[in-house]
Amino acid sequence: MNAHAGESPRAPAPARGPYDAVVVGAGHNGLVCAAYLAKAGRRVLVVERRRQVGGATTTEEIHPGFKFSCCSYVVSLLRPWIIRDLDLPRYGYEVLPLEETFTPFEDGSFLLRDSDPERTKRAIARFSPRDAEVYKQFGQKMAELGRLVKPMIDGLAPDPLARNPFEILRLAKFARHVRGQGEEWLIGNVKMMTMSAVDFLSEWFECEQLIAPMSVSGIIGTFLGVRSPGTAYVLLHHYMGEIDGSYRAWGLPKGGTGAIAEAIAGAARALGVEIRLGAPVERLLMKHGRAAGVVLENGDEIAAKVVVSGVDPHRTFLRLVGEEHLEPEFAQQVKRFKMRGSSGKVNLALDALPEFACLPGAGPQLRGDITIAPSIEYLERAYDDAKYGAFSRRPFMDIVIPSLTDPTVAPPGKHTMSIFVQYAPYKLKEGAADWPRQREAFGDAVIDTLAQYMPNLPGRILHRQVLTPWDLEQVYGLTEGNIFHGELSLEQLAFQRPVPGWSRYRTPIGHLWMCASGTHPGGGIMGAPGALCARTMLHVRAV
Amino acid sequence: MALDAIVIGAGQNGLAAAARLAAAGRKVAVLERRGAVGGLAGAVEIHPGYRVPGILHDEGRVSPRAAGRLGLERHGLAWRDAPPVFLAEAEGPGILLPGEIGGRSRRDASAWLRYRAFLDKLRPLLDAVMGSPPPPLSPASAGDLWELARSGARLWRHGRRDTLELLRVAPMCVADYLDELFETPLLVAGLAAPAVIGTWAGPWSAGTNTNLLLAEAVPGRRLAGGPAALVAALERAARAAGAEIRTGAEVLRLHVENGRAAGVSLASGERLDAATVIATCDPKRAFLELIAAGTLPIRIEEEYRRIRARGTAAKVHLALSGPLELAARPGQAFEHIRIGGGHVDDLERAFDAVKYREASPNPHLEIRVPSVADPGLAPAGHHVVSILASYAPHDVAGGWTEKRRADFLASVLATLERHAPDVRSRIVAQELLTPADLEASYALTGGQLHHGEPALDQLLVMRPAPSAARYATSVPGLYLGGSGSHGGGGVTCTPGLLAAAAALAR
Repeated sequence: MNAHAGESPRAPAPARGPYDAVVVGAGHNGLVCAAYLAKAGRRVLVVERRRQVGGATTTEEIHPGFKFSCCSYVVSLLRPWIIRDLDLPRYGYEVLPLEETFTPFEDGSFLLRDSDPERTKRAIARFSPRDAEVYKQFGQKMAELGRLVKPMIDGLAPDPLARNPFEILRLAKFARHVRGQGEEWLIGNVKMMTMSAVDFLSEWFECEQLIAPMSVSGIIGTFLGVRSPGTAYVLLHHYMGEIDGSYRAWGLPKGGTGAIAEAIAGAARALGVEIRLGAPVERLLMKHGRAAGVVLENGDEIAAKVVVSGVDPHRTFLRLVGEEHLEPEFAQQVKRFKMRGSSGKVNLALDALPEFACLPGAGPQLRGDITIAPSIEYLERAYDDAKYGAFSRRPFMDIVIPSLTDPTVAPPGKHTMSIFVQYAPYKLKEGAADWPRQREAFGDAVIDTLAQYMPNLPGRILHRQVLTPWDLEQVYGLTEGNIFHGELSLEQLAFQRPVPGWSRYRTPIGHLWMCASGTHPGGGIMGAPGALCARTMLHVRAV
Repeated sequence: MALDAIVIGAGQNGLAAAARLAAAGRKVAVLERRGAVGGLAGAVEIHPGYRVPGILHDEGRVSPRAAGRLGLERHGLAWRDAPPVFLAEAEGPGILLPGEIGGRSRRDASAWLRYRAFLDKLRPLLDAVMGSPPPPLSPASAGDLWELARSGARLWRHGRRDTLELLRVAPMCVADYLDELFETPLLVAGLAAPAVIGTWAGPWSAGTNTNLLLAEAVPGRRLAGGPAALVAALERAARAAGAEIRTGAEVLRLHVENGRAAGVSLASGERLDAATVIATCDPKRAFLELIAAGTLPIRIEEEYRRIRARGTAAKVHLALSGPLELAARPGQAFEHIRIGGGHVDDLERAFDAVKYREASPNPHLEIRVPSVADPGLAPAGHHVVSILASYAPHDVAGGWTEKRRADFLASVLATLERHAPDVRSRIVAQELLTPADLEASYALTGGQLHHGEPALDQLLVMRPAPSAARYATSVPGLYLGGSGSHGGGGVTCTPGLLAAAAALAR
């Protein structure tokens, strides 16, 4: 198992004495952070509540022979430098590209976009020749705009209120980078950060059949509608994968997203990281107001020089640390950090491939990303249901059939279908605890809606798993079922994530650090928070 | 004698621009298409003998600094304290702000003090930001750099803690922010309303909290005589300085010759030339209607086409034979009343209709009874009521037919009647102005009361368009000084003043 350990710059620290760092939670960020710390020669232990690594980056066999990426299901932003640093391909990391995006409409028409620009152009031209012309230009423009975000997600968040000379220097460098791009670019970015996805896209496109399915990338995981300001920003993420050139915008990890976690865990173990599964942390071990290790639910105390939390900010501060150890103002700020879950997952084991009524057959329409977002009004009505505490009767869905791309996840001839469903608000008007009662009704709404497009789907379902935000909280420990450890709204990004002034992974509790999606640059399988946290800790010699 | 400058529109901003230019010795003509000055801030006779002091009935954003710069006090401008706001509720006594908050919740009473303290600290900063041109995006000269540095210094002086809090709360939605502060639903709903009236947004839309801060962190003084009094003082100041004001003079064409502003043509066929033109109509009208299509590069036209100016508020005027009496408060006469459903979600539901191009079945009513303070607006014992009803989209599906107008007016009156049961029997005259009516009467694109929706991406350097953020436009000699420019949105007269200053600086 330690075949690669010799390649780390320093040999693993001796196995005796206290750990340098204990990481709470073996999600992908916790593992990345641990791996980087170990790579620098630190002795690291990762403790995980569940019996497998990955957290929400997980593959589970929920029906015999069928393996599902139960939570996160596609990958786009895992930072290329992390893949290189940790040599992940060696440990089984492989991404299969998703080339197509298919959108069926209520009138029986459809739009299929794929990696062939000419074909896509012809498909769009059926709805609007003008939009077909602009489509490629738009992609280039977005890639240009992505130049602001890229240094942001690959580095610490600039602090606009910095008063120390180093920070001001960093800020000046960032300002020069921004200035160098020209005024038009700057304006584009300001618009990007403040506009709604629909308004932003409407500046480019005229036909709703294009705007509606494109706009949904702005709302995934947020409690916002496609017309809510602030949603345009997330569109950018769609275009950043392409800048790196090394892989497509979206891909399916071979073996499910759990394989990514396994790869990172493999790399981490090879670097000397210990991972203890089935070890839920009860609370932090505090000494003189500082973190000194963790106490497991079974009573075991594990001492470490520093504790790194890979769980969300609410769980970290309000449960593991405890409010009594926090300044009242800081506790208030943590409570204000909004983590409203808004989405659920439905995973289906299928006897055979379903067919679209509008385009029968098992062609490219099933192979890529299937978006149920037929109109802006449809999406807004889905949002309106959620605003007043109900799941969308006719939800937005993002669907993939991973078994078509990666046959290893289902028995021969059978298939898996992963359905991301929005909106499913954590706080139902009957209360969050009512979810177990409404779970199957929610699943039915999903299948009924989908059956309008795929009439033969219901008859092919062998097994159905419905994950509501309540389940995401119960099973995966995501507070309020928020898949990003905190909403990606403007006031919860960059130097304000998770708490204004505490965006640098450090916390007001001495020796306690944070490394997960609730910190800059946020959610998705990106790995950047974990890596940047480790880098910062090493830089300031915290460990 | 040749004109130095032409000002299009004699609303609050047009008059302010003219007064400023004339005071600097320029020969100025103000051209107004309507028969009277004032635009949306001018008095309206709703029925013989009954007047309301402005379509826009809130003058709380007029800055004493701007008024001082124009010497308006010398021309009869008088200040008064803001009347208390009454938040009505369906079942219950309502809350008179701010005194009655404590009666509902002690916690809210102390939250109110913190909230006002935050606004008080913010006031000088926002006053400085809104009272001066937005900072230059790409500093081109030493002067620009100096201005940029000054903007930075303002934030610095504001203090790190307060600035962090401002950066945190400004992009939020108003419902989240007020929910953090207050526990009484009626209070949250009532305080949220000013953030969304006249916008294409509901209280759950991100960025609306900026509107709240801009609306609340203002000097907050009111004018004796309302917005119409501001218009009267501006008109006197402009005339005293020598500006010529022509009403019934509709500009149909803004001439751009050799790439420069050259003058205007009127509906009468008359042409007036001047090297400086300050347009205080809305920016879309100026660039997409008054300037002939094809005159400007497509890129510039596109910038103006992209400005979102969708009107969402209708105006209802009532002439009453007696006071507006609320069942919850017999015998009390309020000047400023808000009627919503009692919960911030009701306001959001009212907004939901706009997304589907429908008028709200249960509209939110922002009500003024100006005759309480100013009995001269109506015959003795009678009153006038001025209501901004939200939401009523300009582009309602099927258009504003007679039936739809009647339905909307009926829903406004039904809402009002639930709180003031006698109102219907006292109506002497009533009037509904939908955004489509406002567009027709006031040449207001989209019936958008603020000349451009207040939204995060249409503020500061983005308002009205990046190429015109500092009043000078991409057409030399042409300036935009209406509500659609920075400092505008509501009755402020700031954009007109700053556009004139920009013109004088050239």
